[in-house]
Amino acid sequence: MKRRVLILAAASLLLAWVLGQLNHYLALWQIHVWCGGLFVTFVALRLGYRMGAVTSFIAGLLLDAGAPVAFGTQGFLLLAAHAVIFTIRARAPREETIIGVVIALFANLGLFLALSFLRIDSLVNPAPAWMRVFADLLVSQLVLALIAPWFFAVQTRLLEATGANLRRDFSRRLT
Amino acid sequence: MLPQRFDQAKPFLTLGIALLAWLLVPTAIKRMARTSFFELQAPLKITASYVRDLQDFWALKTRSKNELIEAGRDLARLNAAYESRLQQDAALRKELERLERILKLPTPAGYRAEPARVVLRDFSSWWQRLIIRKGRNYGIVVGAPVIYAGGVVGRVREVHAYTSVVELVSSPGVRIAATIEGDTRPISYQGGVNPTFGPAFGTVEYVPLNIFATSASPLRLVTSGLGGVFPPNLTVGHLTKVEPSSDGLFKSGEVRLDPALSALNEVTVLVPQPVLPVR
Repeated sequence: MKRRVLILAAASLLLAWVLGQLNHYLALWQIHVWCGGLFVTFVALRLGYRMGAVTSFIAGLLLDAGAPVAFGTQGFLLLAAHAVIFTIRARAPREETIIGVVIALFANLGLFLALSFLRIDSLVNPAPAWMRVFADLLVSQLVLALIAPWFFAVQTRLLEATGANLRRDFSRRLT
Repeated sequence: MLPQRFDQAKPFLTLGIALLAWLLVPTAIKRMARTSFFELQAPLKITASYVRDLQDFWALKTRSKNELIEAGRDLARLNAAYESRLQQDAALRKELERLERILKLPTPAGYRAEPARVVLRDFSSWWQRLIIRKGRNYGIVVGAPVIYAGGVVGRVREVHAYTSVVELVSSPGVRIAATIEGDTRPISYQGGVNPTFGPAFGTVEYVPLNIFATSASPLRLVTSGLGGVFPPNLTVGHLTKVEPSSDGLFKSGEVRLDPALSALNEVTVLVPQPVLPVR
């Protein structure tokens, strides 16, 4: 399990880096992309509870390390999103990539708004700030829809490379 | 076998237990974990910034010799102008030191200028930050002011082994004591909203009632030097709008920040130097 968690954490690190570089260039136009929903969707849909939860939490901590929020904030937001997706995953054909993308979009929407509610109250003028939040959210959802299939494929290939059997992990029970 | 209802609630129960356990973790351990996670990602970010520099270098190599000769000539003119300024500066410094000796005044704290390349820009609606390529290895300290050719960039928020995090002047968490250029009365500046596809804005409070500014005739807002963080007379932005505040005693207004803040590649950190004793 440790090796798989490390592999998935490396995938999260790669995604965080790619998004960071994208944000570096988008800063010229004051646009920011945040795809927290993408970090949890695959692990919540395809893996056992414990491994998915640990991976989601580590991904959240990776994001927290570079953000001016209390350490653990995004970790627990991703963990909460993981718990929700894990609970409802039996009702969806979770092997389908398109279903994964749709769930990632909904997860990202919820997480983005939750993080915004946590941050915006400290702003001087919240009304124009929410306009910016919605602009960022729109761009983030577009980017997420574009890169989600790639990221799911990366995670699948990495797990296959470690000899993981994803079908065996489809059990809904906690492992 | 567990009932299905309990089985469904188990992930949330686990989440609650994990949250409680996290709250009990000592702050020192959390701080150490945060630093470790940051340092784990730092080499990736730094490498990307070096690759960008290499791209710029190869892009510049494609320029013709004529362009380089013209650039060299312009730089020589600038250098000549700066040489003359440096001589004037040295003479003024000597005069200042002489007066301080006569009046037995302590020398005010100075700054060591430390230029640094920008590794990453992170401008969200929640925060506005830069990561720069110098940290503890160059003696950068938390709270040090950061400037560029156009004025104030922000303040160092975190210092790591080889990188530092700078909170931008446009970030809602930044407050600066400022004045209108040519005026001595202090005004409170705070970073504000950063609209998409446009320059960032800040807000000011406690503007004296006799100050008038519009977008057609803006006023330059500069640092006051009060508080001891920023040296005086550095440009913060331009005051484009003022209106009476609710108490009627002062005005509040809007400050337009330089759009170049969104495209910075190099900044200068002013590392505070200790105050020298009275001569």
